[in-house]
Amino acid sequence: MSLAEEYSKTDGESRLSQSIAHLKQNRRAYFLIAPAAVFLLAVVGYPILETFRLSLYRSPADSTIETFVGLQHYVEIVNSDIFYRLLWQTGRWVLVGVAGKTLLGLLIAVHLKNDIQGRKFFRTAFLIPWGIPYAISAVVFRWIEHPQFGYLNAVLLKLGVIDQGIGILGNPDIAWLGVVVADVWIGTPFMAIIFLAGLQSIPQDLYEAAAIDGAERWHQFRYITLPQLKSVILMATLLSTIWTFVSFDVIWTMTGGGPISTTATLVIHIYQVGLQNGNLGRGAAYSVIGFLFLLLFAIVYLRVYTRGGDEL
Amino acid sequence: MIAIAGCTGDGNGDGTGTADGNSGDGGNGDDGGQSIQFLTMGVGDNIKQFFEENNAAFEEEYGVNVEFTSVTWDNARQTVNNRVDGGQAPDVSRWPARWIPQLVGKGALEPVDDLMDGEFGEKFAEGVANGTMYNGSHYGVPWAASNKCLYYNKDVFEAAGLDPENPSLDTWQDMLSAAKTITESGEVSVPALGLAGADAIETGSQYYHYHWSYGADLVDDEGMPVVNSDGAAEALSFYADLHLEHGVTQASPLSSTRQDIRQLFENGDLGMVIGHVYTGLNITESQEKGEVDFEYGIAQVPKGPEGRYSLFTIDTLGILSQSEHKDIARDLIRFYFDEERRFQYSKQKGFLPVVKAVGEREYFSESKNWGPFVEAGQYARARPKLSNFSQFNDRMVQAIQEALADQKSPQKALDDAQSDLEDAMS
Repeated sequence: MSLAEEYSKTDGESRLSQSIAHLKQNRRAYFLIAPAAVFLLAVVGYPILETFRLSLYRSPADSTIETFVGLQHYVEIVNSDIFYRLLWQTGRWVLVGVAGKTLLGLLIAVHLKNDIQGRKFFRTAFLIPWGIPYAISAVVFRWIEHPQFGYLNAVLLKLGVIDQGIGILGNPDIAWLGVVVADVWIGTPFMAIIFLAGLQSIPQDLYEAAAIDGAERWHQFRYITLPQLKSVILMATLLSTIWTFVSFDVIWTMTGGGPISTTATLVIHIYQVGLQNGNLGRGAAYSVIGFLFLLLFAIVYLRVYTRGGDEL
Repeated sequence: MIAIAGCTGDGNGDGTGTADGNSGDGGNGDDGGQSIQFLTMGVGDNIKQFFEENNAAFEEEYGVNVEFTSVTWDNARQTVNNRVDGGQAPDVSRWPARWIPQLVGKGALEPVDDLMDGEFGEKFAEGVANGTMYNGSHYGVPWAASNKCLYYNKDVFEAAGLDPENPSLDTWQDMLSAAKTITESGEVSVPALGLAGADAIETGSQYYHYHWSYGADLVDDEGMPVVNSDGAAEALSFYADLHLEHGVTQASPLSSTRQDIRQLFENGDLGMVIGHVYTGLNITESQEKGEVDFEYGIAQVPKGPEGRYSLFTIDTLGILSQSEHKDIARDLIRFYFDEERRFQYSKQKGFLPVVKAVGEREYFSESKNWGPFVEAGQYARARPKLSNFSQFNDRMVQAIQEALADQKSPQKALDDAQSDLEDAMS
């Protein structure tokens, strides 16, 4: 046995014995959290395992018989064009949506922190979009963007910018933007409130000291606000990314994933394949892939997040 | 105890509905304390009271508790399937005929040949009764039926210099010619023709009239897809060119659902639209309330080179195999098929009568709104009964959208659809 192997074995053994000792020492604590852990395993673990199991079977809509097909669904998915189109559309939806919500949220939070007139009113007003059920907001935006009845087209027609209504949600090139706008409108207040809370926890004397040193507002924002807000921004964007990734109601209500599936994301496609068309096995395989993507993203993101010594 | 959940408007998602019959052969009136679960879809304000009153009457007559539930059409298929899969199927459920194969494949639907092959079955026109058949058996009783005609706005026609009393809308070319005249007249500010192209189930329903009339089919006798024939490509070319080449439609067909274009027509903001009978009923009601002020006419769906077709949809009332109260379920069906009840249902709901005696009543046969739809019965054609029709239709809608968006030629769009459907159905 080489020296390195011996070291590593010794290291492994000592880590194992440390773990056993830790378990013995904290036996009571583990015993106390056991019910919660079992409950979590039941309500979270079981559905995940069942979804994975289902993804290994073919289960047509018109039959109760499940046929084991192994990894066939996965192979077919990764060999299909639609999968890569869905990945691109999901990535675009998440990236633009989260970026929009983050930037707008930050902008609003910075302004609401300042002592502007009517600050209380604006703080309340900005929360309204977040308080409205997503599906209702989506319906409102669908009507705003409607080519015949929509306010947007009515205004543009009145101004003479266009001579006939534009069907934003019916245009394969820009429909996704029409949906992202609605999602950003809905999700921005949450980001703004989180950022506002973060901003209010930054010590005021940092700004005073910077002002005495002659730092302008942009520099104060760049070198004080952003670094101090880093952990809040990272946490809020992580949550927003997960929520946007799994978002269903806005897209479904506004476009149903169309036109020509150009606004469909992985989650929309899972619903269409698994529930609408009754192909549960294929839908489950897509779900597992989506879950793995999110898990991978969260792990990488948290690695980056904690690299600077930040604690969750 | 009658519970109504998730009420909706006038049934979307291409559903339909109806009833008739006599008070059966002595139900289990002495089953004190028994409950029967009756599930239906799309119970809106226009029909809610009908169900409340009749469920209460059935409870009183048979001594059975009716647990009545209505779900939205969007959730209909999933709700029934979830309940079947969970071993909690209702006893009686409304169910579109085109979805019958899916439940039969699971062994979830009870054959009702005992009802349909007897005196009870004679209530229905043959075509309607056949609509509930699958694999040689009836898997439900025809509950509702709908078909379509072409509505035209007489005021728009007159303004464009067309004769509103003799609109000459016999063929698709006639329709296109009228649409061009309206568009080019300079006297009309509304679009000439409503075209559905949104990502919705009903886009297929609107297009299939064209598809069939060009001699194209959706599936062959073996149930395999045949969507890319020469006729099909011609039909889709014609459909897409109404927007792309001729510009006679509303601004954005790809944004428009069938409901959108129907709404436009009902507001007086459209020249022509293919619609159900309730489009006319809605306009009549709005006219009586003084909400709209225009005249409309109803013509048959135009014919193509290979014939004329009016999409016919049948919903059934079926008994679920898991039911432990199949006799009472049959009693409930017979009860709801009392002729007067069927008349009230068809009248209030705005669907075609499925019971012959009801259709023969003056209210329907002599009505300006109903007459053309009764006539359209002779051109009736239903969508194929496929266990995966939803998937099939989705793929067809995608092809329609690709052609409408000018992303692919109609032939290419249909060839790709054919290839995908062959893969999915093999």
